[in-house]
Amino acid sequence: MRTNAGGIAAAVIALFLGLLAATQFRSQDVYSRSLQLETPSSLTTLVANLSERNNALREEIFDLRLRVESAQDAVASGKGTLSEGERQLTQLKVFTAQSAASGPGISVKIEGAFDERALSDLVNELRNAGAEAISVNEMRVGPRSYFTPAPSAIAVDGRSLRGPWMIRAIGSPEVIYVAMTRTGGIIGQFELIYARTRFSVSKESALDLPALATTLR
Amino acid sequence: MGAVSVEQKRRLQRQLVLLVPALLFGLLVSLQWRTQSERSELTVRYNAPLTDAASALQNEQNGLKAQLTDLRARLDEIQRNAGTQSGTAHELQTRIEELKARAGLTDRTGDGVVVQLDDSHATGVASKDLDKSICHSTDLTDIVNTAWRGGADAVAVNDERIVNSSSVYCVGSTIMVNGTLMSPPFSVAVIGPQNALLAAYDDPTQLSDIKQRRDVQGLGFTVRRASAIHVPAYSGALNIRYAQPR
Repeated sequence: MRTNAGGIAAAVIALFLGLLAATQFRSQDVYSRSLQLETPSSLTTLVANLSERNNALREEIFDLRLRVESAQDAVASGKGTLSEGERQLTQLKVFTAQSAASGPGISVKIEGAFDERALSDLVNELRNAGAEAISVNEMRVGPRSYFTPAPSAIAVDGRSLRGPWMIRAIGSPEVIYVAMTRTGGIIGQFELIYARTRFSVSKESALDLPALATTLR
Repeated sequence: MGAVSVEQKRRLQRQLVLLVPALLFGLLVSLQWRTQSERSELTVRYNAPLTDAASALQNEQNGLKAQLTDLRARLDEIQRNAGTQSGTAHELQTRIEELKARAGLTDRTGDGVVVQLDDSHATGVASKDLDKSICHSTDLTDIVNTAWRGGADAVAVNDERIVNSSSVYCVGSTIMVNGTLMSPPFSVAVIGPQNALLAAYDDPTQLSDIKQRRDVQGLGFTVRRASAIHVPAYSGALNIRYAQPR
């Protein structure tokens, strides 16, 4: 009888414990992504990123308004819109990597072990920092470029590239450099993961990137 | 003497039975309490204005993107009208339309696959594995990478078109694509050759990390054939300021 009473007490406690464990897990499971759950520091980064994006949008809207006006004027004066067309064409050629591009930016040299997923992450990070054109070794990265593993190499669009890898990106050298090398940034993470690999990031005043090798796929 | 010692032993056993759960109980209560109290101070003071600011900026961005789309359409119209006038202008216009489609500045509808990615809804995922049970920005970049590898023509993540400047950005647990805030579930719409796309996603060497987390932690990951998928045009900035064509 006595042991029974002890068993009941233990059962009650076990029940309580189970309940508590369950609520603990539940509160992690409903881990909602709503902004309310973010830390103030994450939110600050988000706000900064959003306002940067909006500024870029405003600049492009301002630019496009002028172009619409001058195109309208050109049509009205009978000159046609060839110059606007040319301008649009060159912009689109750079944007789609159909033309070779030059300009300032940064380069990242990678000597040692590295893989295709990390390269894809690096390209993503460069784009996020506002890179306008990117190349890996002598290959331009295009809108549909993909990265796959290759024997002791990394393949970009199915073409195998051996290390050391040189990644070049055209854009604001200062902005991209800081984005890459900041504390906790992607290069810092790489240096922890690929401890024996050397990563050198430098600002470049003039880069020449080739056009996309595979035209219209 | 012997009877007393047996009685003592029993009492000790009973006390021990209660001690362990009591200890655990105390630990759990304190853990629960601590996670709640850590959240409060800073979070309550700064989060409300910061979340308001983020929402306001996101709303503003939607408006700016709509303006940009509108201006692009107006410029197109002016040029198309001019393009009907001379042969050179017409040729130029054809080339522009071709590049616009390639850049992702036009809507697309076609057959392909839809990839769904969601946080795990399984209960009882060990807290050390919690990280594996939720979606990360790298999962999305991997899924998009596989789409291009499978020969995709057009890709969108939750209606944000993937173009040459697109990035998936992650802050805390919020994900941004093309600068737009989003949260799971993610739907990746891929227009392209269905069999080649399915083969790319089925390839065991591709997305092995995601597939393992689906099987072990219950991460939501499905790929299905779909027809007449709509992929919207890119509505963000082209942002070409430093690069000059050669």
